[in-house]
Amino acid sequence: MMGPIADLGAGLLSKLVRMGEALLMLLQAIIVQPKASSLPRLIQQLYVVGVQSLIIILVSALFIGMVLGLQGYTLLSAYGSEQAVGQMVALTLVRELSPVVAALLFAGRAGSALTAEIGLMKATEQLASLEMFGVDPLHRIVAPRFWAGIISLPLLVAIFSLVGIYGGHLVAVDWLGVYSGSYWGNMQQAVDFNEDVLNGMVKALVFAFLISWTAVYQGYSCIPTSQGISAATTRTVVYSSLAILGFDFILTALMFGGAV
Amino acid sequence: MTTDGIINIQNVSFYRGDRAIFKNLNCTIDTGKITAIMGPSGSGKTTLLRLIGGQLQPDDGRILLFDQDIAKLNRKQLNQLRARMGVLFQSGALFTDLSVFENVAFPLREHMNLSADDLYNRVLLKLEAVGLRGARHLMPAQLSGGMARRVALARAVAMEPELILYDEPFAGQDPIAMAVLQRLIKDLNSAMQLTSVLVSHDIAEACAIADQVILLGEGQVLVQDTPAALQASTDPAVKQFIHGEADGVIPFHFPAPSLQQDLRGQSE
Repeated sequence: MMGPIADLGAGLLSKLVRMGEALLMLLQAIIVQPKASSLPRLIQQLYVVGVQSLIIILVSALFIGMVLGLQGYTLLSAYGSEQAVGQMVALTLVRELSPVVAALLFAGRAGSALTAEIGLMKATEQLASLEMFGVDPLHRIVAPRFWAGIISLPLLVAIFSLVGIYGGHLVAVDWLGVYSGSYWGNMQQAVDFNEDVLNGMVKALVFAFLISWTAVYQGYSCIPTSQGISAATTRTVVYSSLAILGFDFILTALMFGGAV
Repeated sequence: MTTDGIINIQNVSFYRGDRAIFKNLNCTIDTGKITAIMGPSGSGKTTLLRLIGGQLQPDDGRILLFDQDIAKLNRKQLNQLRARMGVLFQSGALFTDLSVFENVAFPLREHMNLSADDLYNRVLLKLEAVGLRGARHLMPAQLSGGMARRVALARAVAMEPELILYDEPFAGQDPIAMAVLQRLIKDLNSAMQLTSVLVSHDIAEACAIADQVILLGEGQVLVQDTPAALQASTDPAVKQFIHGEADGVIPFHFPAPSLQQDLRGQSE
């Protein structure tokens, strides 16, 4: 009788210990006086994490915007309201789709790469070697990657929204013949900077934090074998994706729930 | 308290889960000598090296390094102590995003305020000592296993440490690379007046350059003596290890019930 309860307790305790470890690692990595010598490492990571994720973000944003334009036109034209398609595309993107889809893509593209890279550094004793040179791997390896994730994702989300809106324009205006003035005018009237754009960026920032934290922790704490790194990489994508979707609901309820 | 050796391991116990890796381990590493730590796989050789380097903490007992108890040092003091020693990791552990030159320059940039010319000359001299001055522009991915180990050796001695720890330096090396590494370890030890601790199970290679050998087994020091004395030992465990006998005091079979009991349909 006691066996399963004890197992459950042990399982919960081990999860709590891992969460404590992750929090401690995060605090040790980010609470550090910034040095000028760390800047090149941050810029290098911004390139790897942010710039190298651009292609997947641009292509996805364009197609998602085009699909929104097409679906919006089909739906709205049934009510003779196809002029509102710009408003629908923009609101859908800035409030929901840009932060969520860009974050999911970012977790798959950059989050998994971060985990694998740190895990491989652990497996090849590069982290141990840093420690033996008196250099804290949390500051040298983890911190620039964590901050690069935090900075990159909100920028990628903004780019996602812009490209998506252009994709919607391509289909609704250039292909299906919606008046361009209505597309931009309705959008301008309906989208509020604080209510919609800033809230979308807050979501992006929260998702960036969740993905970067998960990715660096999974890499840093993985079992340093090929199987361990592979499992850690999978966990990064799964945990990040679930966290993004769960937090998206919570944030949406907090930001827009009052209107219901 | 001042002690004789550069490293003094006193009553050290270390556990992984419930399994004791060391139980009341005692040994001393003499200053200025090459000491080989040997033992079968799983005997805790690399663990001992990590305990000496302060990467792991003993569950009991203490390790004195340069007469300081490493468990009692704070991070800054530990880093100061680490600056006095070099480590050659089993995999070489070169930083894959840095060139050969930058790998060797890494500890110098971190700990010494050298001018660009001094740094350049010092790195080149270290690379010259391991015969790889000409490879300074290469990236680690472009090096053979033996070359990577030699670059790692140049990096380990870049700070001119007093103590150097080698983790399996001969593992996976061809005979030529092995001979080169043997010569380098011996030459660097005498030229730089180092103390070298060598973890290895390549008996012939390690014994050829070691001044003393510590043989580990069952969480204890089985014997600590010169390589010649070890070769002549009549102790069954020492003989089995030195002569590479498959079965003996260290059993060939992992503990299990008898085969008769284990085979299906054979037990009562």
